[in-house]
Amino acid sequence: MAALEWQLGTVTTIQPETPKTKSFYVALPKWAGHRPGQHIDLRLTAPDGYQTQRSYSIASPPELSGQLELTVDLIQDGEVSPYLHDVVMQGDQLELRGPVGGYFVWDVTVGGPLLLVGGGSGVVPLMAMLRHRAAQHSTIPARLLYSCRTPDDVIYRDELNQLAGSVAGLEVLITFTRQAPAGWTGYQRRIDAAMLNEVITPFGTSARTYVCGPTLLVESVANLLVGMGLPADRVHTERFGPTGS
Amino acid sequence: MNVETADMNTELMVDGNAIAGELEQIFGHDMTMAVARCAGCAADSMMATLMAFVRGPGAVLRCPSCTSVIARIVETPTATYLDARGMLYLRMTHAS
Ligand SMILES: Cc1cc2nc3c(=O)[nH]c(=O)nc-3n(C[C@H](O)[C@H](O)[C@H](O)COP(=O)(O)OP(=O)(O)OC[C@H]3O[C@@H](n4cnc5c(N)ncnc54)[C@H](O)[C@@H]3O)c2cc1C
Ligand SMILES: [Zn+2]
Repeated sequence: MAALEWQLGTVTTIQPETPKTKSFYVALPKWAGHRPGQHIDLRLTAPDGYQTQRSYSIASPPELSGQLELTVDLIQDGEVSPYLHDVVMQGDQLELRGPVGGYFVWDVTVGGPLLLVGGGSGVVPLMAMLRHRAAQHSTIPARLLYSCRTPDDVIYRDELNQLAGSVAGLEVLITFTRQAPAGWTGYQRRIDAAMLNEVITPFGTSARTYVCGPTLLVESVANLLVGMGLPADRVHTERFGPTGS
Repeated sequence: MNVETADMNTELMVDGNAIAGELEQIFGHDMTMAVARCAGCAADSMMATLMAFVRGPGAVLRCPSCTSVIARIVETPTATYLDARGMLYLRMTHAS
């Protein structure tokens, strides 16, 4: 059994997604592949030997080989995300290990219907699932409910619009919690029981749900879903911490 | 908030997914779906669903049902310590 090893990757592209979110494409010669929803551990080592480590979800689907896409939200007073945003440049090396996690994973063999609920950067592992679903030409019914503060905060906005318009059986629903675009007719509040109820109705309690984002959002959504009668083993959760809250 | 004690801040909490890498390092394979039975309340939880506090010295895992400490992982420069006295057992389903 291969041990989980730290490996060096090279940043090939850095792409701004929103004013405070960037995607990093990392080329990894020794990468063994991953499943949608898995993450990596990233380790930074200072010149004096001090090390610190954070987890980042893999945004790219398994179908993209040779490199990973990581999407990182800038936490102003954070330790690692400002380094990634402000210091790391194309051509730099990053040390990481993975893929890790087997629980927060969905692929087409798991089946559906699939309900994804994300807040802020919590959309990252959900995006890997949707990209994988599209790459497999799957028609498994899928809905993404995505909570964002403002229109500026929608990560992967163009790609989500494009996927929602072109891929069979997928619906993307965004809720804006602080400010909606002019003329917006969709949701504009925090995710609550009534919203979840509307979003899950076409699927009923057979939905496989994946909930990811700031801890408080995940706690509240998971409790609501279980309260609505979803079996707890169909409610998969991944908490990112205070991030983006 | 009733789940808050001195060393617990719900907002900073993550879950067992966050230590999937550490667990895999210790056990040699993914442990997020292994089921731990809490010694405090006998509830069964997948490791991924345990409450996790990872920013202290080491990681602390707590039972999502009763919040008692299920396990602690501490890394020193020379060794990894796993204190698992808060669980009655850990069930690992054989890979099929
Ligand atoms: C499984 C998993 C996957 C993740 N995937 C992603 C992803 O794809 N994209 C992404 O952007 N993020 C992701 N995260 C979050 C990520 O790991 C980091 O937590 C995030 O980038 C912030 O790190 P930082 O070092 O910049 O900030 P930190 O230095 O950790 O600080 C973050 C915030 O929390 C506060 N804080 C942190 N720890 C403490 C403490 N002990 N006491 C008081 N305040 C504290 C800080 O003041 C700050 O406001 C994921 C987390 C997990 C667990
Ligand atoms: Zn318990």
